[in-house]
Amino acid sequence: MSFPDFKQNYFELFNLPVQFALDQDTLGQHFRHLQQELHPDRFASDSAQAQRLAVQYSAMVNEAYATLSKPQSRAVYLLQLAGMSQQTIDAEHIDGGFLIEQMDLREKLESIHALVDPDTVLEHLITEITRDIATHQREFAEAFAADDLAGAASACVKMQYLDKLLLQAEQIESDLMDKL
Amino acid sequence: MALLQIAEPGQSPLPHQLKRSLGIDLGTTNSLVATVRGGRAEVLRDEQGVAMLPSVVNYSDPGGVLVGREAYALAAQFPADTLVSIKRFMGRGRDDVLEDAQRSHYVLADDEQGMVRLVTRAGEISPVQASAEILGALRARAMAARSEAIDGVVITVPAYFDEAQRQATKDAAKLAGLPVLRLLNEPTAAAVAYGLDAAEQGVIAVYDLGGGTFDISILRLHRGVFEVLATGGDTALGGDDFDAAIADWIVQQAGCGTLGAGEHRQLNSLARAAKEKLSQEQSVAVDISGLLPGAEPVTLTRATFEELAQPLVRRTLRACRRCLRDAGLDAEVDNVVLVGGSTRVPLVRAAVAEFFQREPLANIDPDQVVAIGAAIQADILVGNRPEGDLLLLDVIPLSLGLETMGGLVEKIVPRNTTIPVSRGQEFTTFKDGQTALALHIVQGERELVADSRSLARFELRGIPPMVAGAARILVTFQVDADGLLNVSATEETTGVRSAVTVKPSFGLSDEQIADMLQASFSHAEQDKQARQLAEQRLESTQLLEGLEAAMAADAEQLLAEQECAQLHEQMQGLRALLPGSDVAALRELTESLGKASESFAARRMDKSIQEALAGLSLDALDEEVK
Repeated sequence: MSFPDFKQNYFELFNLPVQFALDQDTLGQHFRHLQQELHPDRFASDSAQAQRLAVQYSAMVNEAYATLSKPQSRAVYLLQLAGMSQQTIDAEHIDGGFLIEQMDLREKLESIHALVDPDTVLEHLITEITRDIATHQREFAEAFAADDLAGAASACVKMQYLDKLLLQAEQIESDLMDKL
Repeated sequence: MALLQIAEPGQSPLPHQLKRSLGIDLGTTNSLVATVRGGRAEVLRDEQGVAMLPSVVNYSDPGGVLVGREAYALAAQFPADTLVSIKRFMGRGRDDVLEDAQRSHYVLADDEQGMVRLVTRAGEISPVQASAEILGALRARAMAARSEAIDGVVITVPAYFDEAQRQATKDAAKLAGLPVLRLLNEPTAAAVAYGLDAAEQGVIAVYDLGGGTFDISILRLHRGVFEVLATGGDTALGGDDFDAAIADWIVQQAGCGTLGAGEHRQLNSLARAAKEKLSQEQSVAVDISGLLPGAEPVTLTRATFEELAQPLVRRTLRACRRCLRDAGLDAEVDNVVLVGGSTRVPLVRAAVAEFFQREPLANIDPDQVVAIGAAIQADILVGNRPEGDLLLLDVIPLSLGLETMGGLVEKIVPRNTTIPVSRGQEFTTFKDGQTALALHIVQGERELVADSRSLARFELRGIPPMVAGAARILVTFQVDADGLLNVSATEETTGVRSAVTVKPSFGLSDEQIADMLQASFSHAEQDKQARQLAEQRLESTQLLEGLEAAMAADAEQLLAEQECAQLHEQMQGLRALLPGSDVAALRELTESLGKASESFAARRMDKSIQEALAGLSLDALDEEVK
């Protein structure tokens, strides 16, 4: 059986231009439209075979949507479409200034439990990290549009670092929550 | 475009063609059952006109099990034999529940595998069995109300239920003889109940504070598609904790000494009654003479109660904040829906309203809203609604991952990923000549395996000896629409494959369930055969009806003449078997017809995707954006 639509790249699947800037509303509409057709719930009283097919296709659409809707995975996907492997991206050189900033942020996070009012400081750190992520997203978009793949990859790795840091911050937040 | 959709909108099938479906809210404190009749969802009541069935099972008489109010009435007299809040024990290991069991005065049976079994006068009872009794009572109520077989059931679970707890719930339904179409997250069910009622568009927060669990979910409703954006909560926080806080306070005030099991149950009932009264009144006098003969009543004011409850409410708001962030939203929601009896507490309402800066919706009874939503979803899944009516896109509540070197967790599917999902990751061997790989599947947000919940272990064997790092092992996690997991591992250079359907460590094995079914006298052998035949007939009829409709629509365009003739011949054969009672033959022919029509189904799906994509003209998109 042939499913030409799924051989397209994710951008084509949702009828979007291959670029970093993305209209979330349009993406969401195409996504919902496809799921209306494909979701296993549409086949709840059909044969087991039809249900299995539906689970597979629905999962593919979910995967495509998840990849494009998050800036980090969208950036990696764009670089991969441009022929870069994950290893090449990871090996991209990162300037020392960025790494020192990272260590600084990480240290602040790690010492947060000792503070009298960890909530406010944590909230502040999360805002700071989120702002930095936005900056590197802009860098990525500009570099990628200008065919500067090395520059784009470098911005992408920075986004990755900061994403991890944000995750860590959120983990600390939930630890604090458990302590209450 | 479901193959089976035979009725056009506005031309709904005749009543006798409608399938019977139920929505069940299997709650910690109370359970309810609802169904859709004449297009409206309504809860079903018992002979006394009461909708809520206390989730209490009494095993004090070896000759018979009691469920509901009758069981609850015996709670103080037979504390160890009367199982209340059994949902807290579902899918849990013995070590997880020791403290809870002690507080509830249950006697845990010793078990080498760490399973939970409670010692009662009627023998050792697993939480799954007790839950099956509750489901059975609801089933009996539905049968009494409709006196018809049930085609499909949707059972709700807290969004935060993990794999083991979900599986245990499914096992209980199986034991009760209920055909489960779907496990539905409780907050999602509540949103469905409101969404369809008001045809809302926008972002909805569902704040669900039940007896034993707290859930918060953020959903977006857009043109009939419900997308769960994020979900969070706490499986061990609920109205029971409010009661416990009041009970502790009473003990302190009255200075009663150590309480016996029965007295403790009595104290809890007093606490609950006081809490409920305080939703209307400013203060309540608690009569403790039953516990401490001759003692004066103690007075609990609303202000004191709110002080006791404040830390618990704060905990829920923290979870709300995190959930909003997970959903990628600040605090902007269009509607807040309250679910669960504990949201009647004025302090809770005020705190939620202040946090979301919205007056919460509560026009559907917060005790019934989940069952009503489940009934609507069941009605849709069973095929009674015109197509395109409503679609739910749910997420997994907890991250799924694998143990890697050093006891660390590698997350494969992060929490809040939309399901169904299939995601793979490559791993490699650690030693030269390594021929097997042990896979340990875990669930949870923590980085260390020791802090996570262990779901299953399996091995991939037969990897050809290679140098370390040369093998390419693709591990794929597949989560279906119920949130249940399948994991497979394949060595890619040789194609050696191994797979496991995750059976949580504390779940029941298929054999155990089969044994229980065997032992359960309410499902005698002939009952089972009759049910099998009915189920098989239904499945065959569904396939035939679906194929007929599909062929009428698309055969000319999508099938060669010969294919068409072959399908017709097989359909003829199956139709001839329908009135008979040969289950095996029916099953065989149905399967082979299903296989034969698979490529036709695929072609139809293909066509409709193309139509869907082609149909998205710029005009339509503009209109959708508004």
